[in-house]
Amino acid sequence: MTTPAAELVGVTQRFGSFTAVDAVDLRIPRGRLTTLLGPSGCGKTTTLRMLAGYATPTSGRILIDGQDATRTPPEKRDLGMVFQSYALFPHLTVADNVAYGLTMRKVPAPERRRRAAEALELVGLGHLGDRRPKQLSGGQQQRVALARAVAVRPRLLLLDEPLSNLDARLRVQMRAEIRRIQSETGLTVVLVTHDQDEALEMSDEMVLMRAGKVVQSGAPRDVFPAPADRFVAEFLGYENFLTLADGREAAVRPEHLRVVTADAPLDGRVDDVVLDAVVRDVAYRGVDVLVTLDATDPAGTAVRLVADHRAEDETPAPSPGARVRLVAPRARLALLTPAAPAAAPATAPEGNR
Amino acid sequence: MSGTRLRHPVAAALAVAGYVIMIVPIGFVVATAFTAGSTLRFPPEGLSLTWFGEAVAYSPFMEAVVSSLELAALATALALVLGVPVTLAVHRGRIPGRGLLEGLFLSPLVVPELVVGLALYQQLMIGLHLDNFTTLLLGHTALLLPYAVRVTGASLALADPALEEAARGLGASPVRAFFTVTLPMLRPGLVSAGLLGFVTSFNNVPLSLLLQTRDFRTLPVTMLDYVQQSYDPMVAAASTLVLAATVVVAVVAERTVGFAKIFGGINR
Ligand SMILES: Nc1ncnc2c1ncn2[C@@H]1O[C@H](COP(=O)(O)OP(=O)(O)OP(=O)(O)O)[C@@H](O)[C@H]1O
Ligand SMILES: [Mg+2]
Repeated sequence: MTTPAAELVGVTQRFGSFTAVDAVDLRIPRGRLTTLLGPSGCGKTTTLRMLAGYATPTSGRILIDGQDATRTPPEKRDLGMVFQSYALFPHLTVADNVAYGLTMRKVPAPERRRRAAEALELVGLGHLGDRRPKQLSGGQQQRVALARAVAVRPRLLLLDEPLSNLDARLRVQMRAEIRRIQSETGLTVVLVTHDQDEALEMSDEMVLMRAGKVVQSGAPRDVFPAPADRFVAEFLGYENFLTLADGREAAVRPEHLRVVTADAPLDGRVDDVVLDAVVRDVAYRGVDVLVTLDATDPAGTAVRLVADHRAEDETPAPSPGARVRLVAPRARLALLTPAAPAAAPATAPEGNR
Repeated sequence: MSGTRLRHPVAAALAVAGYVIMIVPIGFVVATAFTAGSTLRFPPEGLSLTWFGEAVAYSPFMEAVVSSLELAALATALALVLGVPVTLAVHRGRIPGRGLLEGLFLSPLVVPELVVGLALYQQLMIGLHLDNFTTLLLGHTALLLPYAVRVTGASLALADPALEEAARGLGASPVRAFFTVTLPMLRPGLVSAGLLGFVTSFNNVPLSLLLQTRDFRTLPVTMLDYVQQSYDPMVAAASTLVLAATVVVAVVAERTVGFAKIFGGINR
């Protein structure tokens, strides 16, 4: 296996007595897009800042291209960073912003102009080089920040929540845009986000963090159906948790919980989980109806569950108070208890995306 | 801005009173300067520019103007050169006791100038045998430091700290990042602090009075001396000229950076 583009080895960052990043081991695969995903305050930005050289780990080592860079100052790391606030230089034109890194690298003026123009072209802003950052929209500023970071052909492109200041539509559009730029340039990208959809859609590799620790990592296709624990499951949108007859904990997504009438024939597989339930609440949401139910799980514990009832489902949405039956297909259950060798899905080998 | 403040009738009345108290005496001085008579008296007797001519031709005044300009320019430059690093340390540095440092540099605002002047007189002129100009320069520099620190600090507080980090990440050494990014961000603050400092030094009386000698006198001190001896309108004419120059500076300042920025810096 080739050396990873960057590697964190037992990296810890403490602020006083508070541990923001706790003994993190991480390999950033070359030429891929890796996302750091986790709730607010879990240490994503701190991790990225240590990678970029803006913060020095309290302990542990950071390797870039296999070389120790733990104490290398940011200007010597040859990375590109896009800040959440974009941090465009307000006193320079867009073109000069993009050329800044090249100026610092003493690239001669003609080549500098050409490469800055290329980078602006890459983000679709070739015509705005003479403007000042203030004269651009948020989305355009974001692209300039991206162009500025890409123009130096960094060894690593670091993005801290690059899309969080954009409106919902632009955000979705920029996801594809960043993917396109990544594949066109072949850059190694590390992207921080707290949006699981963003991470699932964009990542080759996703790293889930919680309270300064990495809790799970892998390709979205491997992580999504098999969350490692309840925290990851909740974060990825699994809303229902139940204990099976054999005592193992399982999670299931609302859209995979089928609501059928109490006397419906059971046409599914024999190992589907079937529960009797009472409807508590029904909320209309356009494409679906969210049904909240009280049920007893196979282990005999009372649980509150939610199910998406699709408008195109054959049966009409039940009304509150109705006695119904819930079906959770076995294949849709994510088992959270680790001692489950038979049920764990095979981990796909790296590089199948 | 003033529109919202003047809505309350009491506040409006106070504001008007304030303007009257500030502007009316100035009006008297300006009016007297244009008199054709020979005494400092209101209303002026006739209209002429005689006393302006006299003031400009009066060599002690002109020498004092040069001294004052020299002192103000040097003290302002020194205060900025010393103040900017302090501002950076206070706002961006990772040093312990930042508050204390900032307090130290703002203290000249609080300590009465006469006390500062006396201390400088005893310690620097008598104790260290520094000459009168050097002592005065150090005194004025100390006086202007709070403006330099506060006003440039206000500029720096407005600048995103990520800008410097971005510059570093793009390959700029700390020094390069300072000159290519931080300093340009500070420019409005530097201009404001410079103008304020210059005017403050130029108008200063207490320090300049205590530390004057026969061969180095600032304009305000010279004018003060003059009024004690004679009562003709030449002083009014000189004052009017200073006022006119200040107004020009103020207009330029307003056009280039804006008053809100200049004074916003001190009020925080
Ligand atoms: N300079 C600092 N001094 C003290 N505590 C800090 C510092 N920087 C970060 N922290 C703390 O470390 C923890 C992790 O912060 P970090 O910014 O890495 O979180 P994050 O995962 O990026 O969160 P968000 O999604 O909100 O940006 C937080 O609890 C934060 O308060
Ligand atoms: Mg963050």
